[in-house]
Amino acid sequence: MPARSFLHELNPLTKIAWSLAVITVAFVFQQPLPLLGLWASVLAVALAGKVLKEILPAIRGLLIFAAIFILFQIFLIQEGNTVFTLLPGSGFGRVTDVGLTACTMLALRMLAMTSTIPVLLATTPPKDMIVAFVEKLRVPYVYALMLVTSLRFIPTLQEELGLIIQAQRARACDLESRNIFRRLRAIVPLALPLLLMSVQRARTMAISMETRGFGAGPRTSLRTSTFQTLDLGVIAGCLFLTAALVIIALR
Amino acid sequence: MDPTFEPIIKVEDYTFYYPDSQVPALAGINLTVRPGEFLGLTGPTGAGKTTLALALNGIIPHFQGGRLAGRVTIAGLDTAATPCARLAGVIGSVFQDPEAQLVAETVEDELAFGLENLAVPREEMRARISAALEMVGITDLRHRPLRQLSGGQKQKVAIAAAIALRPRILVLDEPTSELDPRGSLEIVNLLERLNRDYGMTILLIEQKISLLAPRVPRLVCLHQSRIVADAAPRQVLGQEKLVAELGLEVPPVTDLFRLLSRAGVYHGNLPLAVDQGRRELDRLLSHESP
Repeated sequence: MPARSFLHELNPLTKIAWSLAVITVAFVFQQPLPLLGLWASVLAVALAGKVLKEILPAIRGLLIFAAIFILFQIFLIQEGNTVFTLLPGSGFGRVTDVGLTACTMLALRMLAMTSTIPVLLATTPPKDMIVAFVEKLRVPYVYALMLVTSLRFIPTLQEELGLIIQAQRARACDLESRNIFRRLRAIVPLALPLLLMSVQRARTMAISMETRGFGAGPRTSLRTSTFQTLDLGVIAGCLFLTAALVIIALR
Repeated sequence: MDPTFEPIIKVEDYTFYYPDSQVPALAGINLTVRPGEFLGLTGPTGAGKTTLALALNGIIPHFQGGRLAGRVTIAGLDTAATPCARLAGVIGSVFQDPEAQLVAETVEDELAFGLENLAVPREEMRARISAALEMVGITDLRHRPLRQLSGGQKQKVAIAAAIALRPRILVLDEPTSELDPRGSLEIVNLLERLNRDYGMTILLIEQKISLLAPRVPRLVCLHQSRIVADAAPRQVLGQEKLVAELGLEVPPVTDLFRLLSRAGVYHGNLPLAVDQGRRELDRLLSHESP
């Protein structure tokens, strides 16, 4: 299969190294602006790897998460000058300049750190990840397989959930009530069939693996995990940039 | 029966109870299959077809527990005493759900999975994958992601993945139940070819008798955990009481000739496929009009 971009060609461990570098840098900076720059650099890497469009839904989810995060934190910080109050005069819902900066900083840090994960997943075939973990990191095969299989089944589960939603709607099951309690209760007729179907499916899969000699003992692998010059270059670059940025931030 | 052919599947007085069940899932099963046979297995839902398949490939008793009596011998190996992994190279299995039985992302990786488990060296692995893909006729799918394939293509991949381990027997548990008519036909035609060209012993569990009857020389019927018929499809489908009791879906053309023979108009063998039926009808009509 031809690689779609340089990101797809990299060893999975190289991409994990990049991810760790981003996390390190995100921790040493305390101001919103450099963190915004860091997050932009992650998105720029995604763009260069031609997967920005693919990971947009995940980024949107992370943004919502960051917004909730800010909402919960911002009213709790009391020090600093008041920027505005939710109920003027009462002192309730006071937002300070210190709180605003701190929350933005934390949200951006979280965004920068977590945005590397969808990039990693979108550019790495699960099989390559297994091979890299098992060969280079000496992770036991069963654990690597478990991790990757659970990732593989996410789209299948989404499809199945869609099917169940349609089936329950066809039986006039109210899934979109405005009443929050009813809406919570509506999870049961969706979650239960999904769980039962997954258990059934897991059983079939286990049997299918069993009949093909799974767990027979030492195994071989069709593919190998190799580090190319590009990998070494990227890792060296990440190391250098991280070191430089850490020094700048701590000075 | 040719005495030089040792049976490749031998089930002797086999009885099996699932845990906490008072009703046997299989009761007193005796079945002998010779190498190169193409055997059809049918019967109503809950008759024990799947349980029998699991008993043959060693899932019972190694993976699925329960009480059992009797013996299953596959190519001379007692399944109760042989690990599943050892049986994997002797008997290949294909299941109903095309989605759940595939573990990899691409066709090539799927075929490699079993070979990797059995620690086949890399170079031989490539050769065996190519050979299996060619036998099944899906060489062009080699590098495709499984997610993009149709149900029928996925079942072919499952068959190829089983074949890559070079088993002598292939057991398929309703492989066409989630496929459209065209996909189903492609699968049974493929099995017929594997049996004819490669001498593979095939046990096909199938509810669609019209797919099964014209292709298999021998049809076994399970009903309430027991074997109630084991003969040529023509003979099995000729037994009106049995067909009615099991609710077997007899091909319409066979049904027509059964009615004709009951009316005393027709005396020959029951045709199982439309082309045979047309020939018989032509013959019948030319006799009728002098």
